[in-house]
Amino acid sequence: MEDDNSPPPPPEQQPPPPPSHTGSPTDFLKGVVGKRVIVRLTSGVDYRGILSCLDGYMNIALEQTEEHVNGAVTNRYGDAFIRGNNVLYISADEPL
Amino acid sequence: MDPSSSGIQEPFDLIRLSLSERVFVKLRGDRQLTGILHAYDGHMNLILSDVEETIMIVDVDDENVTAGSKTVNVAKRKMDMLFVRGDGVILVSPPSRT
Repeated sequence: MEDDNSPPPPPEQQPPPPPSHTGSPTDFLKGVVGKRVIVRLTSGVDYRGILSCLDGYMNIALEQTEEHVNGAVTNRYGDAFIRGNNVLYISADEPL
Repeated sequence: MDPSSSGIQEPFDLIRLSLSERVFVKLRGDRQLTGILHAYDGHMNLILSDVEETIMIVDVDDENVTAGSKTVNVAKRKMDMLFVRGDGVILVSPPSRT
C-alpha cells in the first residue's frame, strides 16, 4: 500500500529529554533541596512535599507534606521529620 | 547549605523546635503517638509525656476473605510518661502547624 501522500517521517525526532543532571547522588540531593519531592518508604507509603533538608543518615525534613497510601491522601503534615532508615527513594517531583 | 524558608538547616532542627510541644509520632507496627516532647537524641529515642497511643488493628473478615473486606479496629491507650526507642520511629510531626 504505497501512498504518495503519506507524510515523510519527521526529519528530526523530538530529542529525548537530555539528562538534565549528571553528577553524584550527593549532587542530586543538593539539587532537590527546596524542591517538591516524593519520598517513598520501604513500607510503600509515599510522602510528597517540599524537601527542607536532609542529613547523612537520609533523615528528611519535609514541608507541606501529604502522606499517600495506594494513591490516596491519608494525612497531611505542615512539617514532617522522616527517620532515614525507612527511606527507599527520593524522587524529584518538579524539574531540577 | 541554603537555609529554607523555615530556617531549618538539618532535619533534627525540626525536632529541636518541637521540644515542649505536642508532636505526632508514626511508629512501625501501625502505631501512632501524640504527646509532649521532652527529649530526644540522635537515634530518635524520644521521651514523651501525656501520651496517647493509637493502634490500628486490621482484621481480615473470615467470611469475606475473597472479597478482601477488612475491618479496622482502633485501640487507644494513655500513658503519663513514655520512652520510645528510636528504631521504631518512622515520622515525627508537630501537629499544631498543620
